[in-house]
Order: sequence, then structure tokens, then C-alpha cells
Amino acid sequence: MEKLDVVSPAGLDAVKVTRAAPRINDLNGKTVGEIWNGVFKGDLTFPIIRRLLKAKFPGVKIIPYTEFYHLPGSDVPSHQRELARQIVAAARDKGCDAVISGNGS
Amino acid sequence: MVITSTGFSRLARLTGKAWGVADLRIAEYPGPLGIHDSGQIAHNVESSLIDGIVNGLTRDEESGGAATAARSRNQRDIVCSGTAEDVNGFFASKEWSDGLPIVPPTIARVEAFLKFTSRSPEEAIATLPSANLRATPWNIAANAVMAGCRPEHMPLILAAVEALGDERCCLGSLGSTSGIFPYILVNGPIVKQLGIEYGAQLVSRGPNPAIGRAIGLIVRNIAGFRPGASYMGTFGCPLAFTLAESEDETPWEPFHVQQGFDRNASTVTIGVTNNWGASPAAYDTPEQNGAETALQLLAREITHKTRLFNFPGSGPDAETVMITLLISPSVAKSLAAAGYSKHDVITQVYEKTRMPLREFDWVLKNTAIMRTTARERAQAGVFPQEFMGAPDDIVRVLSSPDVLHVMVCGDPHRNRIMVLEGGHTQPTTKPITLPSNWDELLRQSTK
Repeated sequence: MEKLDVVSPAGLDAVKVTRAAPRINDLNGKTVGEIWNGVFKGDLTFPIIRRLLKAKFPGVKIIPYTEFYHLPGSDVPSHQRELARQIVAAARDKGCDAVISGNGS
Repeated sequence: MVITSTGFSRLARLTGKAWGVADLRIAEYPGPLGIHDSGQIAHNVESSLIDGIVNGLTRDEESGGAATAARSRNQRDIVCSGTAEDVNGFFASKEWSDGLPIVPPTIARVEAFLKFTSRSPEEAIATLPSANLRATPWNIAANAVMAGCRPEHMPLILAAVEALGDERCCLGSLGSTSGIFPYILVNGPIVKQLGIEYGAQLVSRGPNPAIGRAIGLIVRNIAGFRPGASYMGTFGCPLAFTLAESEDETPWEPFHVQQGFDRNASTVTIGVTNNWGASPAAYDTPEQNGAETALQLLAREITHKTRLFNFPGSGPDAETVMITLLISPSVAKSLAAAGYSKHDVITQVYEKTRMPLREFDWVLKNTAIMRTTARERAQAGVFPQEFMGAPDDIVRVLSSPDVLHVMVCGDPHRNRIMVLEGGHTQPTTKPITLPSNWDELLRQSTK
């Protein structure tokens, strides 16, 4: 049978990969932002998460999702990138040390 | 850190990597959030999700991916040597094939395709989401070989990849669980030069299936959409298909002319659809002529579509809606004979696609993922103002006629229509660039 030598059909890497920021050992005294994109019941999950985080870390400050942009749906990639920049800027302005983003479903 | 529900964590990891974060921290909610009630949600957050969140915020991951520069790879490297059966087995194990046998992409076969473009094999044609990988003539050709295309299809497929990489195409949204898949529309002289079918049975004859399959493989291997990991259609997706307009039969301007191209230009358009479904027939009866029936039928079909809840939305905060109306030549001619231009057809269908606001509210409340009412979306300027009316008001379901796109194709002897529902994407049309010796190459290739 004929022997065939074949090449890969896969795309080439185009993005430099980095690591996420170091984690925060103790959330007491820190500020955590909630980022919700308006879908998949974040309005139900985030209040519970907020309550449980405060129970575990009484000194944590939580900025609720209502303080950030949280409308669903954009199919304009440049608009998506601009919204992401605005959310990052808002998180910095509000003094966030970390953010929780959800819900992916 | 991010929250996902079961089944979406791999997607989150792949998305993180595609955007440059090797060790994105993820907390997983157990089960399908959408159908859980508030009691189940509270239990699952308290018993499981919160621990993942605390862990993701406070503990560094020991085995996260390393930071790396974008790796270069010699595209001519041999990745498998063996029989056709061996190659098919290897490609299936790498998730590089679509479940059907592939034509093994040897260097000689890839090079035969490269003769049909003047672009360098290494040139960056596009960076395609979701994996943000680079498409080059070389890897585009490899996928086209695998699909069973012929070398002379290369210019068309190159242009299609340029369209996939265009911002308007919003390819990153293709992974939706609603099951979106691309289709290809070809216009202009190249349709006849390549023998692309535009009449009866068009999607399943001639080179149409292979060209569609090539785009499907490119979406898989270059854009990086992997079924069940980042390509999440709940019931999967059929193979991408290829349409061409019946430009000799249509009584109206063909699609690419409407997109601003010369009638004699060859173009390829990438569109998307959530469905490939029923194709009802429009009959002329003693009570009503066939043209009027066709318009009503198109409108009725639209109101039965899955993502109806998105159809009134417009602007940067709405999901893009794209509805393609396939009209067979006989129906198009009946409409034209009744005095309807293509613009008239679009306007009429827009006006006729109506339903009581109460029914629309039910669809929005019970089948949509967003947690806002029609009234709230109208107040935010996303839906038209008529959605702020009373429950018994009859509202137009579409945001504007601009979301409707008419294509004339199919069996010229049948009186059928089909409505393809799609979202996230606008029709994205590109001219096909031919090599200067195209005619000669085509003659040699098709001998």
C-alpha cells in the first residue's frame, strides 16, 4: 500500500501566552468586584456568593455587579474589546484587587 | 477568575489561552444553571461553587501553563507517515477530521493548491477566533485537500477565510450552544467557471459539498472550534454547505451587487445559520395568489424560529440577527411578476412578521437567557418603542428590514422557500482574487 507523508492542517500560534496574576492569600481588607454579563442567572448567584464570601472573610469589600456595565449581548468585536477596557478601568477606579466574572454557560 | 457551569470549563481554559492567559482560574457550578430553580442554585453555590471561587481567588495554581512566546512551526514538517487508513486514524485522534474520511494532505497535494494563488505559503491571511490561530495559504490548502476540494477552488477558499477573519463575521460567537454553523454563498463568473451548483439540489451536488466541508475543517483546525470543547451546539451541526445564486434566473440584482460589488466580480460570502430545516411550498389558490402566499409564508416561518427573542434587538448592545430567505426561482418570478422588487419583498416580510406582544413576552421570558423584559429592553433602546405597548398590541418582530437577506437559488421548477435563522454575524462578502494565469490553470486542471 502507498505510504503517504502528510502535513498538519492546524493553525499557527499567533498570541503570546502569559500567566494570570498571583492570587491573594487573604481577602480580608481586599476589594473584589463582580462582573456579570446579564445572562445565565448571575442575578441569583452573585448575591449568594457575596453573602458567603463576607461570612468567610468579614473584612472583604465587594463591589456588586450593578456597579459595573452588565447588559447582555454584543456581536461587534471592537465594541466587546472597548467594553472590556471600560470594565477594567472601572474595576481599577473602584480599587478592586480581584474580580469574579460569570456566568459562563 | 471566572465562573462556568459543568461542560464549559474546557471552553473557558481554551478561551483564556487564546487570549494569552495560560492558567485562567475557573470555578465550576455543577449542572445546567439555566433550568435550575432558586433553591437548587442556592444549594449548589453553597455546597460547591463557593469553594471553587475561594480557591481560585486565594491559591496559586501549581501546574499552570507556562508563559510562552507565540511558537513558530515549520508548516512543511511531516506529522504522520503511513497508509491512507493510518493517516485517517491519526487525524481522527488529533480531532483534525470531521468524522468522514479525509484526503491525506501530502506536500505535493498542498503545493498543487498553492499554484492557484500568488500569495506566499507563509503569509498571514487572518487570525481566526476562537483559538486565535493564524491562517496561511499553506494550512488553508491542507484543509481544502482534506475536504476533497480541487486545486482551482483555492482562490475561493482563501477569500472565504478572509471573510471568516473579518470583524463583521464575529466568528468567535460560532461556539454558541444554539448550534450555529457557517454557509458559503458564491456569486459571479466563478460560479460557472468552477461548475458550482445553483439549481436543483444545489447544496448536495457538484463541488458545493467539498467547498463547504473545507470551510468546516478550517473552522475546526485553524479557528480551533472543537466539538464539545469550544464548539458547543447542543445537538451538533451538519457540515457547512455551499450556495450559489441563480444569477440567470433571478429577476432581481444578485446578492453581491447589493453588497457593493460589480455584477461581473466573483465574490464569496460567509453567512451563518442555526437551522437547516423545513422548506414549505407557496401555492396559488382561487382565494390568494402565490406571491402573496409566499410573503405570508416567509413571515410565518420567521415567527417560528428558535431565537425569536433576539429578532427585535438592534445596536451595539443587541445580538446581531441575520435571517436569510432562500427563494426558488419560480417563487421569485411570481413575486416579480406581481410587482415586488427584492426591496419590496424584504419590506413586506418585515411588515408582515408580527405577533401579539403577550406571545413575544412569553417567548422572551421562558426561552431567552437574558434577564430583562421586552419593556426594559425597549427602554434601553435595544428593542423598538412598540415593545413598550399593551400585552394585546400586535408588534413587528424584526428590528428592521435590514436583517433580512434574499437569495434566489434552488430547483427552478419548485415553488419552495426556506428561512435560515442566524445570529451574531452580518453577511461578510469578499472579492475572490484570481492568479493572472487563471484561465490557463483552469484549462489544465479540468482537462
